[in-house]
Amino acid sequence: MKEYTLLAVLSVGLALLLDRWLRTMIVRKRAFWIAMGIMFLFKIPSNGYLTWRPIVLYNADQFLGIRLWTIPLEDFLFGFGLITVTLVLWEYFVTKGSAA
Amino acid sequence: MKTEYLLVLCAILVFPLIFSRLMPLRLYGHPRALILSMAIVCGVYWTWDVIAAARGHWTFNPSYVLDARILGLPVEEWLFFPVIAFISVFTFEAVRYVTGRMDRK
Repeated sequence: MKEYTLLAVLSVGLALLLDRWLRTMIVRKRAFWIAMGIMFLFKIPSNGYLTWRPIVLYNADQFLGIRLWTIPLEDFLFGFGLITVTLVLWEYFVTKGSAA
Repeated sequence: MKTEYLLVLCAILVFPLIFSRLMPLRLYGHPRALILSMAIVCGVYWTWDVIAAARGHWTFNPSYVLDARILGLPVEEWLFFPVIAFISVFTFEAVRYVTGRMDRK
C-alpha cells in the first residue's frame, strides 16, 4: 500500500478539519493563500534540492512515483498540511491569547 | 558534503533573519503562541517522521547529512520542523503586515 500517499492526503484533510474545529477559518483569509504561495515558491528550490541531490530518498512502494521536477507529488500535500496546521494553531493561540 | 542538508536549513532561515529587522511583525509579541504552535506541530510531525522512516517510507543519504541521529533520523531532520513552522508564521505575518499597510493606503 502507498502509505506515504495515504498519510499525505490524510494530513491535508485533518489540517482543514482543524481549521474548522478551532474556528480559525484561516482558509478564508487572503493572507493565508498569499503566504502559502510564497512558501511554495521557496519550497520548490529547497525541496527540489533535497530530492535532486538526493539528500532524501523515497521508497517507490510507498508513493505514487509522480514527481514535479524531482519533488514527489506527496511532498506538496505534506508541505501544504504542515504549513496549514502551523498557521491554524498560531492563529488560534494568538486570537485566544488576546481575547483572554 | 555532509553539511548540505544543514546548509539548506540555514538558507531557508536567511530571509526571515534579514526581513525581521525591517518589519515590526506581531509574531515576536506573542512568544507563548509561537512556542505552543511550534511545539504541537513538531510533536505531531516528528512522530510521523520517526514512524515513516522506521517503516521505510524514506531514507537519508549519509553523504549529505551529519552522522548524529536521534530515533533513526538525522539531527537536520529534527530541525526541519521547527524551521518550517517558524518560517510559516513569519511569512504569514509578513504578508499580513504588507497587505495591511497596502489596504490602509
